[in-house]
Amino acid sequence: MLGRRSGLLLIAILLLSWEMTSRTGLVTSENWPPVSAILAGLVHETLYGDLVQVIGATLSRFALGYVIGICAGVIVGFTFALVPFVRRMFEPIIELLRPIPAPALVPPLVLFLGVDDLMKVTIIAVTAFFPVAINTMQGASGVEPIYLAVARTFRTGPTRVLMKIIMPGTLPYVLAGMRISLALALVVTVVSEMIAGASGVGYYLVLMQYAVRSADMYAAIFVIAALGFALNAAFLAAERRLIFWYAPVP
Amino acid sequence: MGRWLAKVAPGGIVLVLLLWGIEEAVDAGLVKRSLMPAPTDIGRILWELFVDGQVAGPLAETLARLGIGFAIGATLAVIIGLAMGYWPRVYGLFEPLIELLRPIPKAALVPPLVLFLGVGDAMKITSIALAVFFPVLINTVQGARGVDPVLIDTARTLGVRPLPLLRKIILPASAPFVFAGIRLSIALGLILAVISEMIAGTGGVGFLIIDMQRAFRVRQMYAWIVILAVVGYLLNLLILAAERRFLFWYQATERT
Repeated sequence: MLGRRSGLLLIAILLLSWEMTSRTGLVTSENWPPVSAILAGLVHETLYGDLVQVIGATLSRFALGYVIGICAGVIVGFTFALVPFVRRMFEPIIELLRPIPAPALVPPLVLFLGVDDLMKVTIIAVTAFFPVAINTMQGASGVEPIYLAVARTFRTGPTRVLMKIIMPGTLPYVLAGMRISLALALVVTVVSEMIAGASGVGYYLVLMQYAVRSADMYAAIFVIAALGFALNAAFLAAERRLIFWYAPVP
Repeated sequence: MGRWLAKVAPGGIVLVLLLWGIEEAVDAGLVKRSLMPAPTDIGRILWELFVDGQVAGPLAETLARLGIGFAIGATLAVIIGLAMGYWPRVYGLFEPLIELLRPIPKAALVPPLVLFLGVGDAMKITSIALAVFFPVLINTVQGARGVDPVLIDTARTLGVRPLPLLRKIILPASAPFVFAGIRLSIALGLILAVISEMIAGTGGVGFLIIDMQRAFRVRQMYAWIVILAVVGYLLNLLILAAERRFLFWYQATERT
């Protein structure tokens, strides 16, 4: 598309002017390293430094917390949708906890669980839990009534109704919730590492800020963005395969 | 009244039981007071904070930063979003850049902003504005692009110039999407307000929470978290009320 080329050109021009202003000394700030220096530093740290371990640490925490969170979310979501009484019992508590911004949960969790991985995994799981739980609940309760009516006409047992009608019908919602959780969980992973970390990309980022190693700091941001992008792309690919049959109502 | 009670009762009872259970556990020494103070203690601190007027200062600080950051971010996002939605050239020009910047968690931008702008209000407001900008922009673009072409063509046929067209037709037509974006951005803006205050360490609710934790003044810490949660909840209600007022004509799809 012709329009897009102008956009890519814009990015190229901006990157070039960043590089130029930094190299020619037009902007002589410590915080304005040339783009090439950032990239060079990135390559260097990956090959000779411990950037791979840093990313690995972040990813392992993220993965653990995310999986726990979404599993809990799916279970709770289905339970809430299928057993309204349980929902009425516990929904207010969940609704009370949901508005709390995730970083505000870090200090109390630090008190309970220290600054280790357990605390971070917990907060990641909690963050991942909510969107999946809400979406699952909405999806499971919102199954097309006509399907359920047809099932009843054919006298289908409750287990089959659950497995063949409710679960596939909820799947698009669950996946949408999982996608939201993916982005949130990554942010919370990085933030928890920034606030109370000893390893991982977030910690690396803040460390570079304190050390005023701006090239490495920007490299860390780039890594975080790349992680987010890669995870999202992987998720979309998996989603396309799983629910190729789904046509969302616009 | 009876029906409302039946709806609220189970949840309310569980909540009360939970609080009472925590209270008893703390009193019985099952839970260390330094980790989880008794809810009544927290309540007492909350009461003191309100009565002494100590709530006002930090809360006003945080809300002011959030408000200014939100105003800047949302306004820019709506303007650029409408332009991107209406003119394909503008869309093509900015879309790759936006797609490049969007995956960056805005919290990760706080350290470089600290290097550039220090730890003052400018840094915090900028972080909040950045966090607010992207969701509102993306939703506005979606809304503007999805406006019924018939409306636009009719307006053009009647000789409406681009600027009034944007203001009177495209903006109201995209309003549902814009509000959805605003709702999302308030949550993100609040998160970033808290993070920037925690990292900058100069005041506001976020700073107090982490400061109280470091000083092991646990009851105060929980009190401020409760305040923060209430603020988040009230802001959400505010947006919903505004939405109801501005979008009374819109038939939204199912809402829980």
